Amino acid sequence: MLKDIFITPFVDMFSAPDFLLQVLWEGLVSGILYALIALGFVLIFRSSRIFNFAQGIMVVFAALTLVGLHAMGIPAWISVVLTLGVMFVLAVSIERIVLRPLVGQPDIILFMATIGITLFLIGGGEIIFGGENKVMITEELGIPTGDTVLEPWGGLLILQHLDITVVVVATALVAALLAFLNYTQMGRAIRALGDDHQAALSVGISLQTVWVLVWFIAGIIALVTGIAWGARAGVSFALEVIAYKALPVLMLGGLESITGAIIGGLMIGILEKLFEIYWGQPLLGGNTETWFAFVLALIVLLFRPQGLFGEKIIERV
Amino acid sequence: MKTFAKMAAAAVVASVVAGAAMAEGLYTPNLSYRTGPFAATGIPLMNGQKDYMAMLNARDGGVGGVAIDFEECETGYSTEKGVECYEKTKGKAIVTQPWSTGITLQVLPKTNVDMIPILAPGYGFSPMMDGKTFQWAFNMPSGYWDGADMILQYLQSQGDLKGKKVAFLHLDHPYGKEPLPLLEAKAETMGYELLPIPVGLKEMQNQSAQWLQIRRERPDYVVMWGWGAMNAGAITEAVKTKFDMSKMVGVWWSGHDADLAIVGDKGKGYKSISWSFPDAASGVMADIKKHVVDAGLSESNETEMNGVFYGRGLVMSMILAEGIKVAQDKYGAAEINAEQLRWGLENINITEERLAELGMSGMVPAFSTSCANHTGHSGGWMLEWDGAKFVKVSDHLAPDTAAYVDIANAKAAEYAEANAPWAVNEECEG
Repeated sequence: MLKDIFITPFVDMFSAPDFLLQVLWEGLVSGILYALIALGFVLIFRSSRIFNFAQGIMVVFAALTLVGLHAMGIPAWISVVLTLGVMFVLAVSIERIVLRPLVGQPDIILFMATIGITLFLIGGGEIIFGGENKVMITEELGIPTGDTVLEPWGGLLILQHLDITVVVVATALVAALLAFLNYTQMGRAIRALGDDHQAALSVGISLQTVWVLVWFIAGIIALVTGIAWGARAGVSFALEVIAYKALPVLMLGGLESITGAIIGGLMIGILEKLFEIYWGQPLLGGNTETWFAFVLALIVLLFRPQGLFGEKIIERV
Repeated sequence: MKTFAKMAAAAVVASVVAGAAMAEGLYTPNLSYRTGPFAATGIPLMNGQKDYMAMLNARDGGVGGVAIDFEECETGYSTEKGVECYEKTKGKAIVTQPWSTGITLQVLPKTNVDMIPILAPGYGFSPMMDGKTFQWAFNMPSGYWDGADMILQYLQSQGDLKGKKVAFLHLDHPYGKEPLPLLEAKAETMGYELLPIPVGLKEMQNQSAQWLQIRRERPDYVVMWGWGAMNAGAITEAVKTKFDMSKMVGVWWSGHDADLAIVGDKGKGYKSISWSFPDAASGVMADIKKHVVDAGLSESNETEMNGVFYGRGLVMSMILAEGIKVAQDKYGAAEINAEQLRWGLENINITEERLAELGMSGMVPAFSTSCANHTGHSGGWMLEWDGAKFVKVSDHLAPDTAAYVDIANAKAAEYAEANAPWAVNEECEG
């Protein structure tokens, strides 16, 4: 038994390095996608202390809007622009109708409000677009769908062009987001609100504007995530489920840390894949990805309750 | 404002009148799921079921002159909501159609006490084939063990399975695990190596780990027991990892046109066992177009109506309607109750001649039920994706029920003992 745990997995890794590379690549792609979803949560939490339960359904709604607009005969890239417009209108509506009247209410009320938004988007989405599985307009958007086959060490490594595109686009999006948050006035306003609400408001930062902005950015992230996941397995309401994969990422990386979301996503993506392939499947019958990330996050929380990159909060009572 | 008030009043009156009219019919609730992660596969099935009943109501005034009150209760494929729906509808229901193996397993003991027949065509608990023990439960025309047996027969016909490796990619859910006892028993007798690969609900759309395992283990065949987004996830991963699609066979719930449409030509060769087959040129489809679609009563569309799942929905409602008709003929009454319907469902005899009368020739194999046989064991056909649609690629396949009737009876007895006191049908010569 000890041999199966401590020796065999590593022997397998080194005896088939091409397969190990494939596992790491698949883990990296999954990790980047987890990080993207987690970023949507973090941005909104940082600026408003709201845990946005609706992030998952926003992914579905954005992808359905894109596919639905294209099905009406609108060219693919114009559909993307129009979908961004819809996500902006959604952000403004959420701020005006849901959040503004609830300013100053306890966090749990705001959290419950995002559950309401989720139910509204599920119902609205089903009425407008129907619940059928739809095909993502991958080729129409010019996203490559072929693959590159490499033979490292005489083995086999398949790199899907779609996955390469996802990695490149997600990395660019994250870099742009970091640049925006660090080097623009509005980005600094978002960070200021995250650091200290009262202080930020006292120097004239508009809460309403920032909330619209972060919900819109979360909408953009939702659209990119929806395209990436939708291209893999179609666009349906099942996409909502993938948002749950972001929860351990947030536990691990910390709810307020953008760096934590990125590193946490990558860590979970790669580690859960390695564990599943080399320990889970041979020793536990597989399907360990459903719980591995949560166990990892729990272990981290035992030692760092604020997550790996979260801020330690000390409050006087 | 006055106009609006009048319209609202008219709507209220209309709904009350419609409700009263429907309340006089035979109440046959359907625990449907048009929402949630499995909606994409549920919708065409529910539309098929609903349209068939709407057609009967419009064309014939229902069955035997009494309207069918076909009401949906939305579960979202959630077992908890399914049980709530059952409790809510059981008062006046003459049947319950639970959908989902999880819901079926939960309501199965309740129906034995409430004395309401469960109709679970092609799903549910495989030992339900033992009608003596499960006197209130029906899963005709074929059960999961029939499906697994037919798939194995088909694979065996492609070359001896002895010494081969068969991966069983399945949803990690009661439904996905249902055929495991049979596959394990058959592995012993047929000499193949079984490799179960579970897929969690949260991993349905990202099955890269499962397909890495398939790449590493190099199975000769992949047998899939998928549902909802799992099907599309598996098929896209199979294409991605360059798995030979002709070596992949799914159960009937893994043969949905929309799932294969995502990969199109790349999915060519993928197969699915099925006890139903759509026929756009059939008599029943012509009647549905005339009485339901043209009357604006259908929620479906042309693409969906030509698909396998819509056609299967029609067959499901046909089975229920036939059960009602058999009961009406036996008891000489149009307004039958749950107990009478149970007898009807137990004495269905759908012959080729009857299928021709119904305008459904070739849409389901002929089958019959009896007091001891609640599954029918109709058999089915192997379908293959040709890049745009499913086509039949086999003659009629019949399950070898003799090979697993003992396992089914043993599991049924085990179930009855675990749920004692469990009323069995003593009059049945099982």
